[in-house]
Parts: sequence; structure tokens; C-alpha cells
Amino acid sequence: MKGKEWYQADDVAQEYDDKRFSDGGRHIDRREKQAVLEALGPVDGQRVLEIACGTGRFTVMLAEHGADVVGLDISGAMLAQGREKARRAGVLDAVEFMRGDAARLPFPDDHFDAVFAMRFFHLADTPRAFLREMARVSKEIVFFDTFNRFSSRSVYNWLLPMGSRLYARFEVEDLLGDVGLHLVGEAHDFVLPYGLYREIPDEVAGHLREMDMGLRGSALGEKLASVSYWTASV
Amino acid sequence: MKESLMDIIVCPVDKHDLELAVDEEEADEIVSGTLTCTECGETYPIEDGIPNLLPPDMRDEVEA
Repeated sequence: MKGKEWYQADDVAQEYDDKRFSDGGRHIDRREKQAVLEALGPVDGQRVLEIACGTGRFTVMLAEHGADVVGLDISGAMLAQGREKARRAGVLDAVEFMRGDAARLPFPDDHFDAVFAMRFFHLADTPRAFLREMARVSKEIVFFDTFNRFSSRSVYNWLLPMGSRLYARFEVEDLLGDVGLHLVGEAHDFVLPYGLYREIPDEVAGHLREMDMGLRGSALGEKLASVSYWTASV
Repeated sequence: MKESLMDIIVCPVDKHDLELAVDEEEADEIVSGTLTCTECGETYPIEDGIPNLLPPDMRDEVEA
């Protein structure tokens, strides 16, 4: 099954969270949620758009924090999971899910206070077009993450079912410059790749995560990080 | 989707307003229906409460 079809299959969507974010994957989930909250700041009453929201991990979290959120994804199967998650959390009133194309968003200019995409740019074949469209519909913040070219991710990438695009710092800076966005914040993490966390039980992952944060704190840490979080303003 | 979403969404192709036709409603949720662009006439289905605003060329490509 090719990447795009794989992502849209019902059974893949149903098992998606369990496979990725249980056990050691919890550490990834926690760090990503922290990154989103830090980048967006207080979201109470804010209009937020999440691109490629998948099963709505962040969409639902932001609704719980009082945001008025729209989650957009290409996959109906993923969004059905998202709606179920929002219903369980009691936030269906604050969330809307829709299928759409990230390069042709169904929103007017400057509608949202913040627009973000997690785990999206590594799958993006035309990142510039996507980022330009995110900037168009945001009046303030654009936030996204990338997997880094010079890191453990380069090795891990060989093992993945879907192609995955890696970015060097200058490539991110070029993209931002090209679409008229200004970098206002950044964070770098995970010297050890995600795949390693997912394969091991939670207690072992806890130790691994401590070691990882130790490495990142070292002089070389930022350069070795496999994931970068970028916050830009319009 | 809720009817209030109509204040936000536009046609993904030409960014003009959409017109809503409801087929099925539950409480204040629109479960199924059709969105039609007031400019180009393209239609977008609402299924299981989720509007499908994929542009027509992508809709066929990703329908499994």
C-alpha cells in the first residue's frame, strides 16, 4: 500500500494513536503538545487552524484550552477518529473537522490567529506552496516542525514506509523568507529518533528520554537534534 | 459541522462564498448535505458531519 492510501485506510486510522503514542511514544506526544502550547501562547478565545490534524491530538487539546479550532486533513478516516476524540473530551462545540487540501485552503485571508502543522512538512512535496497558504490565512502565528537533515533521522528515514523530507536550517530560513514570514522562535529536540521511543516500554523510554535531554543540553546538542520546532509571525 | 461554520468557509478553488443545503440534521449538527460555490457552482458534500472541501481534482484521487 502506498503512503497516501495507507494513511486513509480505516484500520490504520483506528490504530494510529495506539501504535504511535502509547508506551515510549508518550514522551513524543508530551513534547509535541508542549511545543504547540508554547508556540501559540494562551489560546483562550483564539481562532486556530491545524493543518494535517490527523486524529486530532492537538485539535482536541487546544479546544480543551478554550480555543475555537478547525482541524483540516485529507483523510476522512482520520477525521472520524478526531470527531470521536472531541466527543469523548466534551469539546465538539469548539471544534470543526473538515477534509481539505493544504495548498488550497477553504478560508479567506487573515482569518485565524494561529495556523500550525505538526508532522506535516516531512511529507510535503511542495512545502513552499503549503507554507504560503498557511501564511495567507493567518493574521499572526504560523508554527510547524521539521525533521533535520544532519541527525539520527537521516538513518531512521531509510526504514520508513513513506518518503520523508529532511530540512537543513538554511532551507527553513529560505522557505520562511520566500513566503514573507519572520522567524520568532525555535526549539530543537530528540537527538534520538522517534522510532526508538516507539519500540520500547514506557519505563525504559523514560530513561532514554533523560539521556536524550542530557545530550541535547551538551554543546553539540542542538546540532544533533532530529526535530526542530519553528514559530514564525506574519 | 455546525451552521456557524458557514461564516468561515469559502470555495477552495476561487475563495467565493458557499451556499448550504441540508439533507440531515441532528441537534445543531449538520450530518449530511451539500455546499455549493455561489461563483463557480462546484459542489462539496458533507458526510458524517464532516464537510469535504477537497478541490474536485483531489477528491477523485484520494477516494479509496
